[in-house]
Amino acid sequence: MHPILASRSRTLLYTAAWLPVGAMLTQVLVRGGSIGWNEAAAIVFPMCFVYAFICQASWYICTALPLRERQPVQLIASHGLASGLSALVWVGLGWVWTWLLGFVFATEGLESRYQEQMLVLFVSGVLLFLLAVAFNYLLITFEVSQRAESKALELQVLAREAELKALRAQIDPHFLFNSLNSISALVMADPAAARRMCELLADFLRGSLKLGSEARIPLSEEIRLAECYLDIERVRLGSRLQIDREIDPRCEKCLVPPLIMQPLVENAITHGVARAIEGGVVSLHAERNGAGVKIIIENPFEPETVPRNGTGVGLKNVKMRLASHYSGNARMDVNKNDGRFRVELQLPCEHS
Amino acid sequence: MTTIKVAIVDDEELARKLLREYLGSCDDVEIIADCANGFEAVKAVTDLKPDLLLLDIQMPRLDGFEVLELVGREVNVIFVTAYDKYALRAFEVHAVDYLLKPFSLDRLREALKRARVRLEGKQPMPAKELVAAARVPGSHLERIAIRDGANVFVIPVSKIDYVEAQDDYVSFRSEGKSFLKQQTLAEVENVLDPAHFVRIHRSYILNIDRLSKLELYAKDSHAAILRDGSRLPVSRSGYARLNAVLK
Repeated sequence: MHPILASRSRTLLYTAAWLPVGAMLTQVLVRGGSIGWNEAAAIVFPMCFVYAFICQASWYICTALPLRERQPVQLIASHGLASGLSALVWVGLGWVWTWLLGFVFATEGLESRYQEQMLVLFVSGVLLFLLAVAFNYLLITFEVSQRAESKALELQVLAREAELKALRAQIDPHFLFNSLNSISALVMADPAAARRMCELLADFLRGSLKLGSEARIPLSEEIRLAECYLDIERVRLGSRLQIDREIDPRCEKCLVPPLIMQPLVENAITHGVARAIEGGVVSLHAERNGAGVKIIIENPFEPETVPRNGTGVGLKNVKMRLASHYSGNARMDVNKNDGRFRVELQLPCEHS
Repeated sequence: MTTIKVAIVDDEELARKLLREYLGSCDDVEIIADCANGFEAVKAVTDLKPDLLLLDIQMPRLDGFEVLELVGREVNVIFVTAYDKYALRAFEVHAVDYLLKPFSLDRLREALKRARVRLEGKQPMPAKELVAAARVPGSHLERIAIRDGANVFVIPVSKIDYVEAQDDYVSFRSEGKSFLKQQTLAEVENVLDPAHFVRIHRSYILNIDRLSKLELYAKDSHAAILRDGSRLPVSRSGYARLNAVLK
């Protein structure tokens, strides 16, 4: 589609840009000596109006002859020929129009006085056409670069989504090894507990795989997965891990991106409870507020401990996923004090 | 065969239970300590002198490598962990073996056999320098573990004001207290982050976050004044190093 003629406002603006050209050509005709201001203006402005559109025909030639792919000789020949022909036709049309105007102004020989200026008009026509060619090439280049940019942006978004998808489906292998070691320990001492641990582990793995492949899930399912994870860790950590759970049933139906809480719950264990000699309480809290839902995950942490490698990766991923999913309508606040590490998510409550 | 005296160190109750069960079926092994963290382990080694530690790595406050650094000369160690990434480091500190959780009874027996060879061969224990060398290259120490008898202090490096050489020891100055450790100042310099710690003198390493100002008190010699008012001498080469970091 033609970039200027496709939109009314652009067509108007473009036509207006020709007004000064008309004024200039009028002056050229008057300076020529034998045509008065009124007649010159009456001749030139309609001619300019018509030529404005003739020049835009060059856009089609420009798209057919991309700058980089064609030889300069071919470009010069094509545009030279096109501009010459256009200017010729234009000057010819101008002659007809002047001849008609001769009747309106009732002046003798207006067209013959016009004929004296035809060479000047022809040269102007060629130059104006070439100007339009240059302008169109500029437009095309601009459009191409803009398209490339938006394509690059699109690819970037796709790549990030793929990356996030891979990340959220990731299960920490050490979690598995430690769980298997717990099962190995339980087999002789407490076979029923060993069996229960196998079931929990199977539930958790199945849940992670299933939820990870979906776009949005009810919050209740996300919480169930987190609880399953915590149950497993409670077998491993024993009395060091206590869980405090407070879930408002009204937010269970809210739809959230899958595994949005899971990295935070895992952090609460690996960077919190597992690193405290005495252990502590992990609390899960969810409530409705206004049109949204607030989720709080809190865990103890020892201020003395230095951050271990990997701290912050989970938080950053959750933040990125919130940004890509809710585009600014969700928030994550992190704060530490009094030996408690607290992450608060504020999400809009979406329904299917 | 002589009985091997073993101390078990793991912060997970179930993991210790599994080790107790496995060791119970091995001959000539006696469990003399069952430790739930690194501090208990250091105390057990000091008080009970076990022949062998079965040592977890990731534990709260004091990890397995720090335990070994504190008691290294006195005991053989088999690491027991779910992480394979420490294996190289483990053998650099002359660990007898490295068991990956979950492991089988046979695998544990094999490790015990190796420990017995090591014990009967009376091979020299790893030296402190080797433990220090086992740090991941390019990484810097984040905390210092210091042992005073059976007591262990863990000081985050950010809380160290300066380190002073004192004969065979170095003294870590932190929050108004001094902690002695048998080490050379050069060893300490190697493991601290050079962006924060500068050797300002033959006998001093300074945490530059504590520096308040530099005073010229004789030609070519300066004194560093710390925030708490203490004065440390700065040698000429120390002054050049300090300027390079502060720039």
